[in-house]
Amino acid sequence: MVKTYDWAGKNDNDAATRKLASASMSDLIVAVATRADRQAFATLFEFFAPRVKSYLLRLGAAPEIAEELAQEALLTVWRKSAQFDPTRAAASTWVFTIARNLRIDTIRKQRRPTPIQDPTSLTDPQPHPDAALSLNQDAELLALAVTQLPADQAEVIRLAFYSDKPHSEIAAQLGLPLGTVKSRLRLAMLRLRVRLGGLQ
Amino acid sequence: MTIQHHPSHAILIQHAAGGLDSGPALVLATHLAACPTCREALAVAESLGGALLADLPPARMNEHALAKVLARTERPIGPIPARSLVQRRHDWIETPSEVVEAASRRRWVAPGVWTAHVGRKPDKGKTYLLRVAAGMGVPTHTHRGSEFLCVLKGDFSDAAGVYRAGDFIESDEDIEHRPMNSGSCECVCLVYTDNALVPRDWIGRLFQPFVGI
Repeated sequence: MVKTYDWAGKNDNDAATRKLASASMSDLIVAVATRADRQAFATLFEFFAPRVKSYLLRLGAAPEIAEELAQEALLTVWRKSAQFDPTRAAASTWVFTIARNLRIDTIRKQRRPTPIQDPTSLTDPQPHPDAALSLNQDAELLALAVTQLPADQAEVIRLAFYSDKPHSEIAAQLGLPLGTVKSRLRLAMLRLRVRLGGLQ
Repeated sequence: MTIQHHPSHAILIQHAAGGLDSGPALVLATHLAACPTCREALAVAESLGGALLADLPPARMNEHALAKVLARTERPIGPIPARSLVQRRHDWIETPSEVVEAASRRRWVAPGVWTAHVGRKPDKGKTYLLRVAAGMGVPTHTHRGSEFLCVLKGDFSDAAGVYRAGDFIESDEDIEHRPMNSGSCECVCLVYTDNALVPRDWIGRLFQPFVGI
């Protein structure tokens, strides 16, 4: 059966897709890292490239830039696959940080003709070695937890990641005081941390 | 080192989402290097970004996108330069190396006080080091927009509390204070401000044009 996707719908969110997204994606990245497995890479590409493009489009990238950066992000997945540590982060999180950093680098290069090395942690998608969290098995759980957030919290979380606006502008857009937006973000984070396994 | 003052969840989410300019991101990265608690919280926020990404309706890629990328994987690339993320300057906490390098551009602006601009040109605000000798302070001021600050060495205090190495403080226009170095050694901070400080007394207004912060 040929699956069709549409922009407004969520018809790709069946259980099989979720399972693929959370569990075997890590194995596929490891397969790319250990034996340059092109078939594994093709599967990763087919899942992540269209979503990275979708993410960039939502943040206002022109379609050709979103296409180019999505390709670049997946090329980075290939090249940096050996740096991926499946015990520390979910595949989706790792790919997200790669896409986010590419976007930041592109924006900064546009603003500054001669790029200088950026040493902030923003450009290093590897988690810090002593990070105590093991978030790898939790991608599915977390995705579920996001869908179960109260609507007001889910809304500000999505805007925080997808709107490219400072929180003050998100507050203005929603007609809320800034403090309310910040407290919803805080409540959402606390709830997600609890779901991820009893962190203080 | 016990860190008492941390960035809000809102700031960590903004960082995870890639929404901070490079100056504020640098101040936050300096705190993160010192603070395992906030690194964990950031990891949660980034997982959130991953979960949201996996949940997005896919956009259509160009027809030959996969083949193009696979072809590019065949091409050899040079070694990826190792990034020097953090560096220690004798008695400071670890900081991104450009912060340490900035100290060589110090400029004395008042007795016991120097500042050094940290190169973050594309930002609208200013990123700088501020050093205040023991017993000295900064005149009473408030802020326009927000200020991020991370203490690199020593400690300072205002009416609201004491801030030590590694602490992260966010201030805005609602906060008017007169920070003092109450410790026994110099205090060095990394600061990002959206706009110049707003001095609240004559001595501050007198000195501000020369200080440039």
